[in-house]
Amino acid sequence: MIIKLEPEILQAVEKPARYTGHELNAVHKDWESTPCHFALALPDVYEVGMSNLGLKILYEVLNAREDTACERVYAPWIDMEEIMRQRQIPLFSLESFHAIKEFDFLGFSLQYEMIYSNVLNMLDLAGIPIWSRDRGENDPFIVGGGPCVYNTEPIADFFDFFIVGEGEELICETVDVFRSWQEAGKPEGRQGLLKRLAVLDGIYVPSFYNVTYNQQGLFADIEPACPEAKPVIYKRLIKDMDSVRFVEKPVLPYIDIVHDRIMLELFRGCTRGCRFCQAGTSYRPVRERSKDRLRELARKLIDSTGYNEMSLTSLSSADYSCLGELVDDLFSDFKDEKVSFSLPSLRIDSFSIDLAHKMQQVRKSGLTFAPEAGTQRLRDVINKGVTEENLMAATEAAFRQGWKQVKLYFMMGLPTETDEDIVGIAKLAEKVARKYKEVTGRWGVTVTISVSCFVPKPHTPFQWYGQLPEAEFHRRQRLLKDSITERAVKFNYHDARVSVLEGAIARGDRKIAQVIYQAWKDGAKFDGWNDLFKNDVWHEAFAKCGIDLHLYNERAREPEEKLPWEHTTPGVSKEFLLREYDKAIKEQLTEDCRRGKCSACGVCPSLKAKVVDWRRENV
Amino acid sequence: MYKYRAEITKGEEIRYISHLDYAGVMERAIRRAKLPAAYSEGFNPHIKIAFASALSLGVISDAEYMDFEMTKPLCQPEVFDRLSKALPPGVKLLRLKEVPEPKPCKGKKHKALMAEVQEAEYELYVPLTGYWQEAVQAVEAYNKAPEAMVHRVTPKTNKMIETKQYMLKPVKLSMAGDLLKLYMDIAITQSGSVKPGEILKLLQAEYNLPVDEPKVLIKRISMKGQGRALIDLV
Ligand code: SF4
Repeated sequence: MIIKLEPEILQAVEKPARYTGHELNAVHKDWESTPCHFALALPDVYEVGMSNLGLKILYEVLNAREDTACERVYAPWIDMEEIMRQRQIPLFSLESFHAIKEFDFLGFSLQYEMIYSNVLNMLDLAGIPIWSRDRGENDPFIVGGGPCVYNTEPIADFFDFFIVGEGEELICETVDVFRSWQEAGKPEGRQGLLKRLAVLDGIYVPSFYNVTYNQQGLFADIEPACPEAKPVIYKRLIKDMDSVRFVEKPVLPYIDIVHDRIMLELFRGCTRGCRFCQAGTSYRPVRERSKDRLRELARKLIDSTGYNEMSLTSLSSADYSCLGELVDDLFSDFKDEKVSFSLPSLRIDSFSIDLAHKMQQVRKSGLTFAPEAGTQRLRDVINKGVTEENLMAATEAAFRQGWKQVKLYFMMGLPTETDEDIVGIAKLAEKVARKYKEVTGRWGVTVTISVSCFVPKPHTPFQWYGQLPEAEFHRRQRLLKDSITERAVKFNYHDARVSVLEGAIARGDRKIAQVIYQAWKDGAKFDGWNDLFKNDVWHEAFAKCGIDLHLYNERAREPEEKLPWEHTTPGVSKEFLLREYDKAIKEQLTEDCRRGKCSACGVCPSLKAKVVDWRRENV
Repeated sequence: MYKYRAEITKGEEIRYISHLDYAGVMERAIRRAKLPAAYSEGFNPHIKIAFASALSLGVISDAEYMDFEMTKPLCQPEVFDRLSKALPPGVKLLRLKEVPEPKPCKGKKHKALMAEVQEAEYELYVPLTGYWQEAVQAVEAYNKAPEAMVHRVTPKTNKMIETKQYMLKPVKLSMAGDLLKLYMDIAITQSGSVKPGEILKLLQAEYNLPVDEPKVLIKRISMKGQGRALIDLV
């Protein structure tokens, strides 16, 4: 079925171009003669979905195959959803406008937990059964990927399978297996394909496992229930970043999107070893692209899009070994084309400031730093290798270069945090504000502190830690607010209500699926959007399902407990994580293995991977 | 500086993008075409590009005009080909002319494209829900009326506008397949204008034109100054 939206519908919704496709570089293939149809979804609105780099890459990887038509779909905004439900218009793709139900695969990129209600909503809009067990031979296979695969259990029952880790190779292997199953006449139906997929490295088929619980109803164990299922699924990773396909012709939106610029990915992984950070453990080890490859990609991307802005993205871009030279080369390559470059995050040092100065030339929009904690003691606990002197030197350099706005990111509720650490945030921010006066002789700086509520995440050294109760977050937020006396310091805090729910889902087990389902039934969607977040609906859903939220977010786990997420792993060992937790309590630091010594996290040996850092290579 | 004027379209594919987005689309197309575009000064340089008149969301057009400047001379066929190839779905380059430098003796600068626009013609295609004769009567009544007011409410304005002063010719009607086709020729003046969609709503609400108004497709077919297409003014 091909969906055609009437003008009266498009005239009635906000930003109709979200639904009309036809963008430059979108790939249109003949439906009938292409044997594999793969829809890629991001369960959020078009402008967010179109900004996701992972999906851009997979779109090109899949469309490079002659046998596959890969098309895009995003969550319709609530105004459009209402009309679609009224008129019974099913969810459709933005290339051929086929109903999503007619695809062979529907892949969701799962970026954070609070987006799960949208996954359910999209399945429902597509007319696909929400629970994998209810799906029939004519339904698409529902695939999950992205950062949330390091604890898939809360959504395991909604998905047919997951792709764990970096998907460029594995998604092609998946299609290969599908094609041979298809050509063989689909032996054993859905189960047949899932069995063939389950043996691939990095594929997790949740329905092939049995989960057991202890007397208290807590997760006890998960075990394979069929010979194809592996006890542990290690993530996949790309070993050679230079030869793997990258985005060269991204779909160019007609309307403004969240990241409306080129994203040039310098490297994957970050091994600075911040103990709260899930990205830091999930993308190990560091693997850089070569400078020449990056220049070549930058040229292709500028030529295929006509953008004049390029972001040099990575988890910590300033750590790229050849950054200085790369920036110089890019400047000279594009000097006539007025291309501007930016770094999404800055390291707290003067190298970063000089670079930012060079890149921004005149425009001095705000600088952002992430000290994460207010005192040296707590920064040592989280292994944030930044000192107060580093921050003062960096901000001093920035003020000398003319910046007047600084944004500082912190977290609240980290293990061992005391009131002194909270007050320390205010003191540090005020010190930065006074530094401005000292450097320039004037007032007129704005120091914005943005404080999020810490959510312990799977596969991090803090995965055992009990999250703070909501009331305690509120008390600490008030304490911080009262500790700020300087007018130049502005305080933004995050909604603790969302963080405690995120805390429960992030470390949830399969029982949480029922809660997500209930919350969605009762109207939860777009929970990541402040104005649409329905806190009560979620708490009622936990109550209706008889599940105690606090057992998931506030309960500290025992080191010997088996955790519900250990079977889909990025490869860091439990011993390493425990060792790091222990060092955290002792306020001891761990070195970055990128150029320093290996901290034996387990990733390299278990995945037969190695660090690729050009400065290290050349030594 | 070498200035060009382009006659371009806004097709069905991009019917629902705003004027600002359309400008962004053209700016990126010029960049992809690798034309030696002239940029504005400042830390956030933009290609020097100007449009004749904004098109409402949902309206398509066979007659959009855009002036842009280049720092090097290139022959017209070269510019035409390069730009044509770089255009996204929904935009076609119909005509392209170099805008000559104004005579120095007159001491004047180029007149801004926007200031040259005096009229625009439109075709509207809309399902007829009643009899043809009713439609004829409705349009005739409107054409004969000495005055016809519309109420314009936007987030910024709330006012009554007299429409007949802008109607350069009587509204014409005919059938195009199953659809009723209306023709309008509307003046664009310093002090304002009226939109074809507003006239249609008025015809339906006050003159009983029997149409399914939300389903209308509006197409701009010309934009003129001194009675000539804007591209023929150069
Ligand atoms: S195994 Fe060693 S070198 Fe490899 S990522 Fe872990 S700590 Fe770094």
